[in-house]
Amino acid sequence: MEHPILFISIILEKLGLPIPHGPVGHGLVEQLCAPYMTYTWFTMLFLVVVGKLTLGNLEMVPGKGQNFWEILIGGMDNFFVENMGRDLTDKLFPMIATFALYIAVANLIGLIPGFMSPTSSINTTLALTIIVWITHHIIGIRANGFAYVKHFLGPMPVLIPLMLPIELISNFARLLSLSIRLFGNIMAKETLLGILFMLAGAYFAPLPIMVLGVLVSLVQAMVFVLLTVVYFTQSNEHAH
Amino acid sequence: MSKMSKEMIHLLGNYGHIGFTFVAAIFIGMGGGIYLDQKVFDDRTTPWFTFIGLAFGIAAGFKSLFDIIKQQDKD
Repeated sequence: MEHPILFISIILEKLGLPIPHGPVGHGLVEQLCAPYMTYTWFTMLFLVVVGKLTLGNLEMVPGKGQNFWEILIGGMDNFFVENMGRDLTDKLFPMIATFALYIAVANLIGLIPGFMSPTSSINTTLALTIIVWITHHIIGIRANGFAYVKHFLGPMPVLIPLMLPIELISNFARLLSLSIRLFGNIMAKETLLGILFMLAGAYFAPLPIMVLGVLVSLVQAMVFVLLTVVYFTQSNEHAH
Repeated sequence: MSKMSKEMIHLLGNYGHIGFTFVAAIFIGMGGGIYLDQKVFDDRTTPWFTFIGLAFGIAAGFKSLFDIIKQQDKD
């Protein structure tokens, strides 16, 4: 397939840094210059700079920028409180809200020509998922102590040999399904856009897919966050 | 956020991952079985752990469907 034009990679190449030609490079510098890494940093930089510009000086009567963030953060806060309660929200709000903003922005920048979504690489999504997966076990252990094991033992003692493997498998399946769903949706969007640009870009063929891309990007970010919240809630409550 | 879109997000979150979770459970079960057969027991038990893992994987897939239904009833 035609290699997409990624402007950060071009700039880095002009600066003399090695750009990997496969999906992942060899050696440390080449791996750090892989497109999904550079665009991850770009997304982080974007979020930090926009946050600094709009929230640099907080006012009692909010302006345009501050208003936007207040509505966004307030909406997310309400949503988390509804689903997992006040205590857990206060503890985990920074993490989940960061995930939401990062995934939404990372998905959406892929729609601009010259950019790619960092989330269209399995490395990024798997990293996010492993963080969520480990955190939900930590929450479970902190909330229930040793009784957290009961989550994996099924309803009665007789069924333990049957239920333990089943519960473990379905727990590991979370790791796989959460990462591959986000990766698959965004990678499909990127690939489809690339192919359509190559085939009929002059006739605006990618436009309908771009509209769908906006929808898919936002929905996938929401689904990731919602599932994170659901997993945290489940591991926080007592085993039946 | 309006009532409608909030409900939509809930439905998407609850049911949007059914297919992926089901398939992932089967793959993990069978992958674990194949690993046991080929790496741990060095091909001496060859078809058996694969089949046992596949059976557990399918059971885990159905159990995750059951969990989704149960969770929906609770809401």
